[in-house]
Amino acid sequence: MTTFGVKQKELKNLTYQGVALWDSVGHMGLIAGLEETFNIMIETDDIIEFNSYKKGFEILKKYGIEL
Amino acid sequence: MALSYKLLAGKTAVITGCNRGIGKAILEGFAANGANAIACTRKETIEFSRFISLLSEKYSVSIIPVYFDASDVDEIKSAARQIMASEKQIHILVNNAGVGYNALFQMSSLEKLKEVFEVNFFGPFLFTQYLIKLMVRQNSGNIINISSTAGMDTYDGQSIYGSSKAAMICMTKVIASELRAFGIRANSIAPGMTETDMLLSLPKDVILEKIRKGGDKGICKPSEIADTAVFLASDLSANISGQVIRVDGGMK
Repeated sequence: MTTFGVKQKELKNLTYQGVALWDSVGHMGLIAGLEETFNIMIETDDIIEFNSYKKGFEILKKYGIEL
Repeated sequence: MALSYKLLAGKTAVITGCNRGIGKAILEGFAANGANAIACTRKETIEFSRFISLLSEKYSVSIIPVYFDASDVDEIKSAARQIMASEKQIHILVNNAGVGYNALFQMSSLEKLKEVFEVNFFGPFLFTQYLIKLMVRQNSGNIINISSTAGMDTYDGQSIYGSSKAAMICMTKVIASELRAFGIRANSIAPGMTETDMLLSLPKDVILEKIRKGGDKGICKPSEIADTAVFLASDLSANISGQVIRVDGGMK
């Protein structure tokens, strides 16, 4: 699973391209990891909107994933 | 007769538009080389069911039909979901489904432009977006897009069809670059005039001129396109990506 090497306390404010590893390629890896882990297929619009750790929770909720 | 060297043994391929012409030849070429296939066509027909059953038995491979309309977004999504749910790994995706169209630029309507692009470009674009999800996860994959020399050369009457194929070529090159990081490669085959039903959409004088200029190489056989697809799908081309291979007998 992609972690981008971020410490847990830093996750809350993590945003897309906010760290070097969460670039466009890292984003695709992250989406693939989430899809595999939760057995879901994330739509393109949601992949685009998935621009922060916080937003990620909202988007995953749409697919029935409550964390 | 498809060449059979078992170059694709152990691989699973998704091929669109394989009920006739180039797609049908690619399906046979892949089966002859040991690939299991998900054979995508628009509609179920007795002839096609019989064809895949014969291929499956002859080459001892699994061929599963999936039916969807390549211009219908919901059907594309549903087919992709069905494939992804049933297959653990997809090694090869061949985007072959397409429609031909021939009309002078000033007689080409916006409606027709959209209609051709839906099948020749938007459909494969979306279908690829879905199937590469599996390829990204497995960190490997191979995409072969069937374009056309009409996407690179100038043929009167081909502004719509040629543009759709030029878009396909561009998509291929961009995919090859963007997905290299995930071990996925992408190439395109650009057939010249080929012995298929699509040939009938062209004016007779254009076809006759090709035959006059090129002799028996003036018009390609679907099996010649299929042989190139087998090469690109196989590990023989493991380090080839982002390329467009013309199969046109050297005709321009």
